[in-house]
Amino acid sequence: MKRPNSLAGLALTALMTLASTGAELAADPIRIGYSIARTGIFAAAAPSQENPYLLWQDQVNASGGLELPGGEKRPVEFVSYDDQSNPANTVRIYERLITQDKVDLLAAPWGTPMHLALAPVLQRYKFPMVGNTAASVQLRKVAPGYIWFTTSAIPDSMGTEMAAMLKANGMTSVAVLANELPYAQEFRSFLLPALKEAGIEVLVDQSYPPDAKDMTSMLVEVKGKAPDAVLALTYPADAFLFTGQARELGIAAPFVLSLIGPTIDAYRKAFGPGANGIVSSAHWSGQADAWPRGKAFFDAYVAKFGEEPDALDSAVTWMSMEILQQAVAKAGLDREKLREAISTGTFETINGEVTFEGVQNTRTPTGFVQIQDGKIELVWPPAIATAEFAPKQGW
Amino acid sequence: MVDTLLSGQLLFAALVSGSLYALVALGLNLVYGTLRLLNIAHGDLVMIGAYVAFWLFTLWAVPPLVALVLAAVLCAGLGWAVYAGLFRRMLAKPALAKRVEANSLILFYGISVILQNAAALAFTASPRAYRWLDTVITWGGVSMTLNRLLTLGVAAGICFGVLAFLRFHLFGWGLRAVIQRKDAAQVVGVNIERVQLITICAGFAVAGMAGVLVSMTEQITPFMGFPFTIVAFVVIIVGGLGNIGAGVLAGFALGLVETYGIALTSAGYRSILIYGIFVGVLMLRPEGLFTKAVRT
Amino acid sequence: MSALWPLAGIALALLGVAAPFGGNAYATGIAFQVAMWIALAQSWSMLSATTGYISLGHAVFYGIGGYVAVLMVDAAPFPAVMLVAALAPAVFAAVVGLPVLRVRGPYFVILTYGLAELVRHVVMRIESALGSFGRMIFSAPSPDALLWWMVGLAVAATLGAWAVRHSRFGAGLAAIREDEIAAETLGVPTARLKLLALIASATIPGAVGALAMMRTGYFEPGQAFDPVVSFTIVTMALVGGTDSVRGPILGAIGFALLSEALWSNFPQLYMIVLGAALIGFVLFVPQGLSGVLDRKGGRA
Repeated sequence: MKRPNSLAGLALTALMTLASTGAELAADPIRIGYSIARTGIFAAAAPSQENPYLLWQDQVNASGGLELPGGEKRPVEFVSYDDQSNPANTVRIYERLITQDKVDLLAAPWGTPMHLALAPVLQRYKFPMVGNTAASVQLRKVAPGYIWFTTSAIPDSMGTEMAAMLKANGMTSVAVLANELPYAQEFRSFLLPALKEAGIEVLVDQSYPPDAKDMTSMLVEVKGKAPDAVLALTYPADAFLFTGQARELGIAAPFVLSLIGPTIDAYRKAFGPGANGIVSSAHWSGQADAWPRGKAFFDAYVAKFGEEPDALDSAVTWMSMEILQQAVAKAGLDREKLREAISTGTFETINGEVTFEGVQNTRTPTGFVQIQDGKIELVWPPAIATAEFAPKQGW
Repeated sequence: MVDTLLSGQLLFAALVSGSLYALVALGLNLVYGTLRLLNIAHGDLVMIGAYVAFWLFTLWAVPPLVALVLAAVLCAGLGWAVYAGLFRRMLAKPALAKRVEANSLILFYGISVILQNAAALAFTASPRAYRWLDTVITWGGVSMTLNRLLTLGVAAGICFGVLAFLRFHLFGWGLRAVIQRKDAAQVVGVNIERVQLITICAGFAVAGMAGVLVSMTEQITPFMGFPFTIVAFVVIIVGGLGNIGAGVLAGFALGLVETYGIALTSAGYRSILIYGIFVGVLMLRPEGLFTKAVRT
Repeated sequence: MSALWPLAGIALALLGVAAPFGGNAYATGIAFQVAMWIALAQSWSMLSATTGYISLGHAVFYGIGGYVAVLMVDAAPFPAVMLVAALAPAVFAAVVGLPVLRVRGPYFVILTYGLAELVRHVVMRIESALGSFGRMIFSAPSPDALLWWMVGLAVAATLGAWAVRHSRFGAGLAAIREDEIAAETLGVPTARLKLLALIASATIPGAVGALAMMRTGYFEPGQAFDPVVSFTIVTMALVGGTDSVRGPILGAIGFALLSEALWSNFPQLYMIVLGAALIGFVLFVPQGLSGVLDRKGGRA
């Protein structure tokens, strides 16, 4: 009898070996688990999140390890798996990390769908996790919460802040072009009433599917209506499409928003000076004097990866690790104590102080950045701005 | 509204995307026509072409026009490897050849997975982009980015070049014979294996060249290919599977439908429109809109 | 050979029973996956293995079931949700079936894919018009309960596939696969048989989709109608072998465990290894795992 079940046999053996190694390693280093979209539709966004994890690990280990209450330091080790951009896999991976790999701490996966799918799992195992690259008002329905949202780019406050920023800069009419993916649509749903409230006229309001390949028709309409502001609620892929074609048509609006995308390094490489003046979603800038930790992070990131950190994803990821690190230093690895520490603590981050109310970071102001001279400058709100909003001068 | 529709701007946009669709679909159609293989890794060759252009430009400032040649050679080599290593074997085994659709689907699915992940491993998944020839010129009231104008010129040039070659060169006759009646072509002395090998190389090369053109205006990632596979399938179905000329026509038609369809309705209906046409054609006229009905 | 199917069914049920009481959520997760793929691949085989009409669009049934379940779950008792989730894609299949099944060969493969994408975009459009941006599911049953449901579906799909193959209905479908025109000439009502096969094949995937959404706790059309689901189903069925009811079971178990093992042990390379394994499989094991077992059994 030759091995007829060799495939299944191999698989089972492999699984068992892995299960046993999982238990042995737990002794010395602190093991932190996460899943990440190494493959699939979100894969292009994942490095902006995984790079800060790796940088953080380097720095923590170089300083002797992650500090526990009482000053003991233990090195940090990551356990990570590919979720293939599929939230169903994310759920299974975290179940595995918690019950099988028995990790000490969790870091967040990339993206809102993943975070939303994960909330009940964390609840079930009472395992706290500081979220990062996700934002949705739906999360407020999760109570009492073993998950927190580090970003202040939550669609409802972004809607009001965007309207306020437009008004403060004298914009009276806008065109809204929104990707049909959830985050853009959620933002749009809060943006439209906020614009109405602020007395700003919406001249164009169109949604487009994520696989759009040509925006010329939409942009010709926008050009014809000549609004003061063009608000493109983009994801990274269509941010390239939008910018290229808006540039071609010479859209002359002084205010151009591209929601997600412009903070990615490649975006500025693709458009050079044409990207100047583009407004985008982020509440951090490496240029801010107010946050000295930010400059250090920015420089270390550039030194390690040869490109700039994404002002949104990389920044919130780094913040989430700063928060975790400080909470562990105070509460150790006990999950309930850790939860308590995260819920009630105040944390020093590259984006200033952070405290949570419920799932939300209520300290970091919701902001917007603008590309000025190839650099990401915070231009809104005025209290934390690193530069003033400058009307877009051509492409 | 009418002004918008009549403006050259929309026509230019439609022709640019149409020429790219036609080019991407051309390669797929060649491979389907002669080998009857459903190459769902086709878009991944576009990805490879895009990376070739990106790295050559970024590392050594090689202009994308030169990269066109190198990408074509690289992808043709890949086509040769795939044919010699996998498909010669598959087509030769009667048990495998019997279920050629299902088997080629799985084989190319495997190839696609390997290409995407090898690229992710080699280059990371970080999006890449570069800037070349992005001056905007205005001509007759139509604004055109030079690299998009170039895309139109090169893509249309390759498409019609290939069509002319098929029409006027002896090899082209042999190829068309293989597409239409493989058994009969063999009888009249066409070297089928040679035709198949050359065609798969040419089909892959064309996809690689399309990738170079795409790289000038889009972000480059290891997973960018699949949408191109889909578009290519839509185009060759609308044109008629294996009908090379009609496929090129259908590529341009799709560009027009997309741009003008959005202008007439709303951007939100773009994909519904395209897949609706796709499904409708398949249900009502599976031999393609631009192909004369053939009784079987 | 037919004696093997109840064994497989029982083994499956045991697997399902063992997993929750093993107390290990990870094992429950794997069992859920395996049962899910068995249910999907068996359902797929009711149409595609029997008639030779290769569907690359089963994600549409899975997605429709998932969507109606998510819309209903907060308002209706769970069994009712499951029932509707199974019926909705069956109705859809009944409506589109006749024109779709007139199309043959590679055209059918591509058409089913295109149809799934079309529905996906229509649902995205509906969701965007409803002002919905991803839906969280708060009233889902526990993972253990979901596993029970899924094992039930896997067993039901296996029984169904067996019943189809061993009936006059199945004989008619086989005639279509061998030579549709000849079958028609001999008076086999091909159109009606194919339509029934499509409906049978669409039903359980709807219920599976509902369970999968409940398990994930989050719905978004892009993910519910993910074409990868369609590809994986075809892959598993072919890896297992399409000549017997055992095939999809072997394929689902083999493929799911293989990818699980690779994924755990080679986080960077596993997709590449998986792709290579697929290629090797098609070339060297064309009869599928089930065919390998047959040959071994024959010689022993």
